[in-house]
Amino acid sequence: MGKSVREVRGQPNAPLITERPIDNGELKKPPKLPKKGFWKQVKNQKALILMSLPFVIWLIIFKYIPVGGWVMAFQNYKPQNGLFDQEWVALKHFKDLFNEPMFYRALENTLGMGILGLVFGTISAIIFALLLNELRLLHFKKFTQTVSYLPHFVSWVIGANIVITMLSQDGVINNLLMGIGIINEPIGFMANPDMFWGIVTVADVWKETGWNAIIYLAAMAGVDPQLYEAAKVDGASRIRQMWHITLPSIRPVIIVLLILSIGNLINIGFEKQMLLGNNIVAEKALVIDLYALDYGIGMFRYSFGTAIGIFKSVISIILIIICNQFAKRIGEGRVF
Amino acid sequence: MKKVLSIFTLSLLFLIGAVIMTGCSDDSSSTDDSEGDSEESSTEPVTLTFYSEDGVEKTFDDPVAKKITEATGVTLELDYPVGGNDETIPLMIASGDYPDMIYAKGDIGKLIEAGGVIKLDDLIEEKGDNLKALYGDQLDRLRNSIDDPSIYTVGTYGVENAYWATSGTFQVQLDVLRELGYPEIKTLEDFENAITEYKEKYPEIDGQKTLGLSLLGSDWRWLITVGNPAGFAAGIPDDGQWAINDETGEATYKFLKPELKEYFKWLNGMNDKGLLDPESFTHTYDTYIAKLSSGRVLSIADQDWDIADADKALVADGKEWKTYAPLPVTLGPEYKSQGLKDYGFAGGWGIAISSTSEHQERAFEFLDWMASEEAQILVNWGVEGENYDIVDGKRVLQEDDKERKLTDPDYAKETGVGFYVYPFPQWGNGAVDSNGQSITPDTEQDIIASFNKAEKEVLAEYEMENWTNWFPPTEELGISNHGAAANYAIPPGSDLQIIQQKADDLVEQRITQAILGDPAEFDDAWDSMIQELEDMNIEKANEEMTKLTQNKMELWGTN
Repeated sequence: MGKSVREVRGQPNAPLITERPIDNGELKKPPKLPKKGFWKQVKNQKALILMSLPFVIWLIIFKYIPVGGWVMAFQNYKPQNGLFDQEWVALKHFKDLFNEPMFYRALENTLGMGILGLVFGTISAIIFALLLNELRLLHFKKFTQTVSYLPHFVSWVIGANIVITMLSQDGVINNLLMGIGIINEPIGFMANPDMFWGIVTVADVWKETGWNAIIYLAAMAGVDPQLYEAAKVDGASRIRQMWHITLPSIRPVIIVLLILSIGNLINIGFEKQMLLGNNIVAEKALVIDLYALDYGIGMFRYSFGTAIGIFKSVISIILIIICNQFAKRIGEGRVF
Repeated sequence: MKKVLSIFTLSLLFLIGAVIMTGCSDDSSSTDDSEGDSEESSTEPVTLTFYSEDGVEKTFDDPVAKKITEATGVTLELDYPVGGNDETIPLMIASGDYPDMIYAKGDIGKLIEAGGVIKLDDLIEEKGDNLKALYGDQLDRLRNSIDDPSIYTVGTYGVENAYWATSGTFQVQLDVLRELGYPEIKTLEDFENAITEYKEKYPEIDGQKTLGLSLLGSDWRWLITVGNPAGFAAGIPDDGQWAINDETGEATYKFLKPELKEYFKWLNGMNDKGLLDPESFTHTYDTYIAKLSSGRVLSIADQDWDIADADKALVADGKEWKTYAPLPVTLGPEYKSQGLKDYGFAGGWGIAISSTSEHQERAFEFLDWMASEEAQILVNWGVEGENYDIVDGKRVLQEDDKERKLTDPDYAKETGVGFYVYPFPQWGNGAVDSNGQSITPDTEQDIIASFNKAEKEVLAEYEMENWTNWFPPTEELGISNHGAAANYAIPPGSDLQIIQQKADDLVEQRITQAILGDPAEFDDAWDSMIQELEDMNIEKANEEMTKLTQNKMELWGTN
């Protein structure tokens, strides 16, 4: 009987009305059909499944199995013993962590610089992509694009040195400002804790704008040209076209990218802060990853470091869920 | 698809090539055995991996290295920390992947706890004749702790040391001394006056602004150029961040001391008067060295090894007068400069042999050989006929080697002369060989002979032979009973370790801010820092450090 049903279904021209009652009848004895259907589906998608299998395995090995290491956070982990041959200490490391004023400072700095980077990084990349998109001179466009994403490939070690040199007392920036008479005394940019977040953000924008703009440019390339033509006929200026056509068209892309990067808000890394920071601005430069490195692994406190890692993951998941809900509510593209 | 495939094939080829190449290099390394070697130690070719916390990128193929291989069959594969990070040892432990020999400095405690290194007691007893002869009754100082009195490491510091040179004190440009008519500079006040006077005379040097005093407080060297000099100015011997009473072993976190406040207050004043390089706490090490090399920095407070590159560059540029003279400067006449303090053989740090090594015996034989007379002459002097000659039965460095040693920053790296002295077992600059000759080329006479012409002229003006004549002599300062606390292995994960790390981080920030701040607010800034230190329970760290010091003295039998 099942066989005949599938045959009927397989017929593109089979009348819908006859199909429905048979389906309802099938539901009363469900075990066989769905199972067979599943294997049939597997067979049909064999090639696709085979292709994705390596990545699923990769995901399990590198992303799921290591999560087992989280048990370390509840132990006094010593690497010379096995993972389960350890002293269990329950929530001690989390208590230590939440009782540590330095941790809250690190959290504040991480979120502060993360949010600044996110806001200015996204805005600058979108504006840059919009401008590039409007360029009609193809060679110039390609040239500008290449130049703009080159800094992305420069390591932060070099990038930070460039920034420090440019901002030094007799560096380019100070010379320029003094030359045009805006200031009389050189500004100690790197010696002012209040400027540190700003400097990191600007350096980040300089380094990543071109690179981040690529994905927006790609999205813009997919916008239907007819829309622009129609807008032109209606007398829309180029600014109007950007505002009413380009931006709304790439809105789903922007939202998806935003959600993804908000999830990573707390994972801003520590290279920039470590390389640009110094003892004067240390208070503003301490980020969670740096704290985990110095007070976790660096001091042999693997368990403490793991506790910090778990905390970070929890924050990330919460942030992503909140954003995704928000995106769902405004009816835009969401991640899951 | 085709393109992807070809990339894949290429990378595969590359991988195979790399494997074959490493395989080959292992086989081909040093096949020639030296002839006149006795049977007691095997000289089969072997490659030992060696990680040094102070290592630099280098291959083991200079002339001295070749001689070492000839004598022992050992080829070293030198590994070094990348970017000066201090996570290498913890990561090594986590992975369980150790090199054959490890020089871990203060991280040795972690390796011992993790069982990553072996006890050397039996090996020393059995076949460590050279090491036994070297350490003699100082062997106890190599022991780990009261609870675990085994020996895990050998080496690092010379055993018989003479103090013919100082390091880490305040240093002033020779030109400043000359221009001001060779004044006597004993206190910070004298020091400041000299700099002020010279700076007023020459506000610019070679078209660039003259800098009175430049420090390097932007990275770990904060401790070297800001933290340590403070203790020296107050006449406290170098115990890292600690001030230790040598009689009782009582330890205090150094920055709690009122003398240190005086010093930083002085620095704060220097900054206010525009005598301190405003970038002292922000410039990178490279910039700092570049500034010193330009000759426009009048004074520094740094170790010689930290500024060696700048010194050589200045001499090479013919700017001898811009090099630096060490000064016995203290806060006031009642404090004694500890520049020539003898800390005794410090023990503690050294080279350990890993528990996973397949060549433990060979590694030990190698370390023992390094302590032999033959090895010490080789690593200190280089190859006979190439680096030194024997004139009238005495070793004399060749002229070009002498020259390069003073002016070429890459001399040790390229020729290997002097490169393998630290951190291996070493006799020390006060030791003599079986013929009664100095084991190192750095006798006092050699040091004096190696001074540049400006230094010689200044010394003559002051009627001195060596800069050390300025300093209170070693005998007067006495030998430390507890060694140097900076070499202690602090138990990992202990309160002491965590509190000290937090305290170090805090003082680096707070003192820097206080120095750069308004002098009127200095006292408040200092008081609030002390308060913060107390809040993080610095007293507990003091107690634990005191206990550690007292245990060490008990272990060494010096209490």
